[in-house]
Amino acid sequence: MKLKILVSCVAVATALNVNAAQNYADFPVTVKDYKGDADHSVSYTGQSARHVLLTSLKKLAGKGEGKDDQALQAKLLAYYAGKDAGREVISPVSKGGFVVAQSQVDEISTKKNLAGKTYKGAVAGWPGSMTGAEVLNFMVVKAASADKGFDPLTGYDYAQLIHKFAMGAVFYNQVVDNYLDEKLDADNKPNNKPYKEGQPYTGKEHVWDEAFGYFGAPANTLNLTAEQVYNIAKQKESAFTLADLNNDGEVSLYNEMAYAHAYYAAATDKGGKTNYLHTIMQAFVDGRQLISDANGEALTDKQRTELKAYAETIADNWEKVIAEAVFKYAGSTYKDLQKLDKLIQSNGDVNKAFRQYAKHWSELKGFALALQTGKDNLGETAVKLNRLIGFSPVLLGNTQVLGIDAEGNYVQSSSISMKEYMLHMLNVQKLMVDEFGVEARSNDVMADLGGLAEKLGSGASVEND
Amino acid sequence: MFESLVISYVQDLWIALTDPRKRVFWGYLLISLLIAICWIKWVSPDRGVRVKTHLFNRKVWWSASARADYAIFLLNRLAFLFIAPVLLTQLVVAQWLFESLYQWIGHRPILGESWSDMQVMICFTLFYFLLDDFFRFYLHKLLHEVPWLWAFHKVHHSARTLTPITVFRAHPVEGVLFSLRTALVQGIAMGVFVFFFGGRVDLVTVLGASIFAFMFNVTGSNLRHSHIALRYGKALEKWLISPAQHQIHHSTNPIHFDKNYGVVLALWDRLFGSLVISQPGQDIEFGLRREVTYREQNLLYIYMQPFIESFNIFLSKVRKREKSIAKN
Ligand SMILES: [Zn+2]
Repeated sequence: MKLKILVSCVAVATALNVNAAQNYADFPVTVKDYKGDADHSVSYTGQSARHVLLTSLKKLAGKGEGKDDQALQAKLLAYYAGKDAGREVISPVSKGGFVVAQSQVDEISTKKNLAGKTYKGAVAGWPGSMTGAEVLNFMVVKAASADKGFDPLTGYDYAQLIHKFAMGAVFYNQVVDNYLDEKLDADNKPNNKPYKEGQPYTGKEHVWDEAFGYFGAPANTLNLTAEQVYNIAKQKESAFTLADLNNDGEVSLYNEMAYAHAYYAAATDKGGKTNYLHTIMQAFVDGRQLISDANGEALTDKQRTELKAYAETIADNWEKVIAEAVFKYAGSTYKDLQKLDKLIQSNGDVNKAFRQYAKHWSELKGFALALQTGKDNLGETAVKLNRLIGFSPVLLGNTQVLGIDAEGNYVQSSSISMKEYMLHMLNVQKLMVDEFGVEARSNDVMADLGGLAEKLGSGASVEND
Repeated sequence: MFESLVISYVQDLWIALTDPRKRVFWGYLLISLLIAICWIKWVSPDRGVRVKTHLFNRKVWWSASARADYAIFLLNRLAFLFIAPVLLTQLVVAQWLFESLYQWIGHRPILGESWSDMQVMICFTLFYFLLDDFFRFYLHKLLHEVPWLWAFHKVHHSARTLTPITVFRAHPVEGVLFSLRTALVQGIAMGVFVFFFGGRVDLVTVLGASIFAFMFNVTGSNLRHSHIALRYGKALEKWLISPAQHQIHHSTNPIHFDKNYGVVLALWDRLFGSLVISQPGQDIEFGLRREVTYREQNLLYIYMQPFIESFNIFLSKVRKREKSIAKN
């Protein structure tokens, strides 16, 4: 106890002594013979535009009215696969005192879409043997005719499914399977050449920036707490001045907003047990500094080894962030099942509880699918995870979606009981602990054990009676 | 590295004396002292003795045996800084049991929904106390009856004078067994109760200690290892083990061997036929046997001899088996 206080005193003292931590901004132009007028080399506008496309898509996916709606479907597809000008930012928009700078996606970056960057591998956890891009397209089309994103017949919440899956299938996959993988090779986007002729950044600088952009963290994250980053994503007015890095009275959706897995890392870390957000952010900043320090020369093997170590830190912690979310939503789904069971036994109204169950299950499913879009095939772990969760939540009649027929309709069949399904949720949590070593463990089904263990105290002592 | 080791060692010693969950918490020692004074002044048959010389006798507190206790206490604590992290914890047991119950039953029936939180807490606290007290009794019985275990438990019984610190006089191997026992007991209690009762399970505590442990300790638990033969009287000693009864357990008189294994409840000894009630004016010699043997308080001997003895037991068993195989 005293030791802990001492340690935190030292930590506070060091924090006060050092200058503000580095922002992911203002790294100098190192391209040799650069003729333009750019005064720094950081750029990830395309990634920020895709973040905004996804948050907008999520919002739109919740707008269906439970009937065929071609206009909505077209609009949804415009945000998912289109590249045309004129798409407005649907979310995040200004909220109270939290003023957002851009109202058009094109103000951040033009001609961007999600579909072109979506995981091309097969998705084993979703019926129909489709690629990642096809699954998202399928979900988007289904969302158009759902009731506020919800399909009561299957228990799908498409807004959640699309949002959580795409975060993995687009952002996470692009980073760990592309930018921080083959693009760190010596002959791929070398550092002694501009990324493209005339641009103020080198190949490696831009590759690293694009990877960072997909993480979704504000540029000044190292000067913010996890809680503050969380509040920025939630657009709390109290966080506005923290977010407005350049003090122009608006929060730029380019580099002052928190999105996607950076937001989930912050949400996980604010519980105090983990430090994913800052670990990942620090690795991005340090890696970018290393590239900058190479001063426009090709990276040596030693430098690339170091850079790959940063990349590995990023990939490992990012994967854990997703695994923590799987853990958390398996726990919420468990609680929803408990609640439903009680309501059924007491003949209560299950509609509201079922809607909540569908939402949490869809978040769980989205994150579980996202987890499988990383660089490495998860093998047996993926098989287990997909079997435990199934293609849909177990429905009130103890049925589950088994597949999709030729017309794209879901096929259901009788399955396990909801009570047995609860055990699956427990086992999902166990799988996340065993395979990914998750530590935050929100909504732990066995959470009560931890506190009790502490109360009982350790038995490790040599006391005879 | 070394510095942090020293810090955690000192902290560990400090906790032993200041945590009300520990037997030698200063408050319990103080209460035991007060009880001892009252006992000697007003109840005990040898009322004539001077309280001060009887309680603070150098022959007790600074005997070769007591000095060995102190050294063993300090050495074991140090050893456990390294041993404790690799031992099985109650959380691992509890999680395993929770999951296994789920697999066996196939679902999770939630019980006691009409009970108040307090009722659930009382049930858990009582269950944990009974389970713990029984496991302590039973492991103690095994320590006496299984030859190679006895080789290690003899360390505790080689004490010639008893002081509250004698509670720590144990071989580290025994310490490992005690730790496993606690992990098992706590793990079982937690796993079962949280599985069936969910988040309402909690321990009824006083000063952070389980109420039963607290009651046991404020009623003079530290006098068990002392020469104050505090008796409860025949009626109560059938239910609760008094300090005098535990002192019988440490007796050199063969008629007292393998008796009174219990900690709090006398019930277990009664069930297994090992209970002995204390007699007024009992005068007991402590130790393994009457004759004092050379080296019996030597630390190297205390730590190494059990290994030699248990190894010999193992060897003789192997030989016996070889013989019987040869015969057939
Ligand atoms: Zn004994």
